[in-house]
Amino acid sequence: MRKPGDGGTNAEAAATVRVLLFAGLRERTGWGERPWPHSAGLTPHQIWSQLSDPAPAHSVRVAINHSFASFDTPLNPNDELAFLPPISGG
Amino acid sequence: MEAERRDPVEATLPRLDLQLLTTTLDPLACLAAWQRQLVDLPGGLPAAEAHFIGRVRGVSGQGLPLEALELEHYPAMAERRLQELAMVTAQGAAAVLVRHRIGQLRPGDAIVLVAVAADRRGPAQRCGQALLEGLKHEVPFWKREWVNGVGTWVEGNTPL
Repeated sequence: MRKPGDGGTNAEAAATVRVLLFAGLRERTGWGERPWPHSAGLTPHQIWSQLSDPAPAHSVRVAINHSFASFDTPLNPNDELAFLPPISGG
Repeated sequence: MEAERRDPVEATLPRLDLQLLTTTLDPLACLAAWQRQLVDLPGGLPAAEAHFIGRVRGVSGQGLPLEALELEHYPAMAERRLQELAMVTAQGAAAVLVRHRIGQLRPGDAIVLVAVAADRRGPAQRCGQALLEGLKHEVPFWKREWVNGVGTWVEGNTPL
């Protein structure tokens, strides 16, 4: 089975979700952006459970296509999914 | 001289001036430039303004001397959330100004400027407070404190 970020054929590459990590989450995980294979019913929770980050999910927020979303929102091909560590602006 | 005609709907919406800056923020110069632009609002310069300037502390969350503060953001989402936040919180205000730094800052540097103009102090202050809290919790920015060459991500915000 092809792992996220391994590339693949053009047809496979089209059916992906773009996954982004930020700040400490990116540094603990070791990457900031990867294409992730899309499959029917794929949710942020399923992707999160395959990441190696030790942070508990309740401390992380999810954004899909630049809007906050829940961990169980079904993802569509070509969606941009971001996992956001606790925000500290202002 | 004939006054500029404005769309009646547009005239009732708050005027939003929102920017993320990668270079030094001079809050007083920004405020002065903004105020010069407000004189052409319907009714002229609003009677009330609320301003907030946030600066980088000289010490880290652990109380150590801070060398620098780094501001990371999620491009596109940060701008979008800032716009949405301003639209929601600016009800009752005539104009909103937000400048927020990203990149590398030094102690004493201005991080954020929020200014709200309204007909009354109530909406000006309420909108300013709501915008600031929204910036701290709802717009994807992350701070990293640098102490003795070591960077530590800040998770969460200081209390009010």
